[in-house]
Amino acid sequence: MRISIENFTKSFGTTTVIEDMSLEINSGEMLALLGPSGCGKSTTLFAICGIHRMNSGRLLFGERDVTRISSQQRNVGVVFQNYALYPHMNVFDNIAFPLKVRRDSRADIERKVKEIADLVHIGELLHRKPAELSGGQQQRVALARALVREPDILLLDEPLANLDAKLRLEMRSEIRRIQQQTGITAVLVTHDQVEAMSMCDRIAIMDQGKIMQLSSPKEMYEDPSSDFVAGFLGNPPIAFLEGVAAEGGMRLANSEVTLPVPVAINLPDHGAAVRFGIRPEFFQPDNDLKIKGRISFVETQGREELYDVTLENGSVLRSIQSQGGSFKLGDNVNWGIAGDRILAFDAAGNRL
Amino acid sequence: MQRSSWLGLAFLSPALIVVLLFFMVPVVLTGFFAFTNMSTATGVKGGEYVLNASGLRALADAGLPANTLDQIEGAGYRVDAGGLEALAAEFGQPTADEFGKLHAGEVFTKRRDIERALKGLRSNPIRKTRDRKAAAELFKRSMMNERFPTLPAFEAALEEAKIPQADRPLITKVAYTGWVWTAENFGFLLSLESTWQYAKNTGIYVVFTLSFNVLFGLFLAIATFYLPAGQASTFRAIWFLPRILPPVLYIVMWRWFTWDTGFISTVLSSFGVAPKNWMLDTEFHAWTTIVLINGFVGASMGMIVFSSAIRAIPSSMLYASEVDGANRLQQIWHIILPQLRWPILFITSYQTMSLLTSFEYIYLATDGGPGGATEVWALAAFHTALNNYGGNLQYGLGATYALLLVVIGLMASLAYLRLFNFRNLLIKPRIEG
Repeated sequence: MRISIENFTKSFGTTTVIEDMSLEINSGEMLALLGPSGCGKSTTLFAICGIHRMNSGRLLFGERDVTRISSQQRNVGVVFQNYALYPHMNVFDNIAFPLKVRRDSRADIERKVKEIADLVHIGELLHRKPAELSGGQQQRVALARALVREPDILLLDEPLANLDAKLRLEMRSEIRRIQQQTGITAVLVTHDQVEAMSMCDRIAIMDQGKIMQLSSPKEMYEDPSSDFVAGFLGNPPIAFLEGVAAEGGMRLANSEVTLPVPVAINLPDHGAAVRFGIRPEFFQPDNDLKIKGRISFVETQGREELYDVTLENGSVLRSIQSQGGSFKLGDNVNWGIAGDRILAFDAAGNRL
Repeated sequence: MQRSSWLGLAFLSPALIVVLLFFMVPVVLTGFFAFTNMSTATGVKGGEYVLNASGLRALADAGLPANTLDQIEGAGYRVDAGGLEALAAEFGQPTADEFGKLHAGEVFTKRRDIERALKGLRSNPIRKTRDRKAAAELFKRSMMNERFPTLPAFEAALEEAKIPQADRPLITKVAYTGWVWTAENFGFLLSLESTWQYAKNTGIYVVFTLSFNVLFGLFLAIATFYLPAGQASTFRAIWFLPRILPPVLYIVMWRWFTWDTGFISTVLSSFGVAPKNWMLDTEFHAWTTIVLINGFVGASMGMIVFSSAIRAIPSSMLYASEVDGANRLQQIWHIILPQLRWPILFITSYQTMSLLTSFEYIYLATDGGPGGATEVWALAAFHTALNNYGGNLQYGLGATYALLLVVIGLMASLAYLRLFNFRNLLIKPRIEG
């Protein structure tokens, strides 16, 4: 079901968290609300499910205006960050709860709970209490409870934040599988860019109550609209070089070095401040746009190695390379930037 | 032991002393008193042996043979040193000396015999009949109303009065004025009809007050939970007022409220209702007042405990139930109440115990009236042991009431633990978080 948020404003007391936000989520799509903590992503989620009322704006599920409808009537499934399982009920009763309060027949409840429990692979745990489950199992129960009454929309609030790294990988694909299998419209709130990129069809990246960019993960990675988006996506993160626009390119700050700029980028007037964003995979020994520096940090990540290279003016570039390079800490290197991959931003952080 | 452990013990010692002094010692003493017949009459120290008219009646009731009773009561005449001294004072030393020489140590059961003996004195006979009678009286020895400070003295007196051996233990027991060890208090209490009335009253008191406390406390807690914060704390503060009011003042206000010239009567008189004491006019009114007096105080405690327990429920769990489609009532029934199980158990058992033993509000309000209708067990114990209308404070009997109350309290708490499946409540989760 399509979700339309129109001119949504939310404030708590005198603090305005979200101002005049609009967002369209397509039917059957899984969308990530990505952003640092305090950016308003959870507030948006709670507004969609009705826990928070909107101060102004409209919310539509399909064609239905649900702005003034209570959360009980919205038919939304929510998975909370701490799962919010009912500790005094066993797994069966937890999953059956939405059906029970709807007064479904006992046979119906039995059948639906079995079905959904099989879908999330917890069929054999139905008699256990939440306290007797591992984190991943609790997560699956929460998911089953959210899905059991076939909601129009599935909302996930940082569902993987409390899991360990291995389980997180597993549940990532698990949630995506279930979402695709059920074809449900889903919104995932997360501060983890890897989660957002790997699980979702589209990402809405938020900062200070505003949506900075809304596009597919690949597009967002390759074509960020601002330095905030560029800095938020990517692991290891992008490195920025500060400088000013000059004849034939950008003059690095505190330096005589001038980097030539691809023709696609429209530099501002000479003397204006410019930022170049260079992702680690585009700063490699073999690239053409050479720049001198010294290796100031080496981190072995197993398959790859991460180097920090401190330039003569003190800025740092990152490079990620396959194993086997014989570079050591303190080596002077002359590596190159892939010129057509430079992301340029103006002083306000907007993409040039 | 490490020095720090000693330090811990040192810090603990004031608490230990307080527990010992104000809890253990009273309990032990209660148990001790319950097995005695102590009262104002017996005193708390030892006693003497004395037979008086009421003791004699008790002996007759206990089936002592009339013969023996006569022996105790009826006068015997013994020629002993005291009697001879008195005789010397009245009739001259020579008379006494001669009478002593002839009859010292003899016992005459009949006055005629000792008179004859007095008449038969050769050198100094007492000739006048009236004189002889007076002289005979000097030798009259009865056990009645004579105080014997020790048991051997009393036994010697029994021996001298030639009381049959078989009757002596009973007589000794009746004659003793001090307290003795006894287990008869329990049987005696249970045989009293009033005891069962107290038990019934206590049942009424505890069940109704407890229900009011817990249910009203729950209602207040849940109702204020859904109110906006400002209103909620105002309501909680108002309902908390009875608890911080001094009990005596609180009860005085209730008495004014229900007095025959008090608030209710005054208001109702304008509707033509004759004024009366609304607290004490009927048993039903007395009980209603008692339950309300205790309930308003008790409910505030439940309210505070339940309120904080509800606020301890993670808000995400309440949100979850809302998006799962549960309305307010379903949320209360399925989510809030089950999570209040432990505080409800705590309040219920705690209040049961304190209601079983508390009587101060009843004492101040109705003092057990009207006609003993609100006399609860604890109040009866207090009245029996410490504030008896008759003036004879029966410490032993009162302590027995108290001890039975302790036993009832223990059984009630065991029942609660079983009912609420205490072990399950304390079980540790197998996996953290």
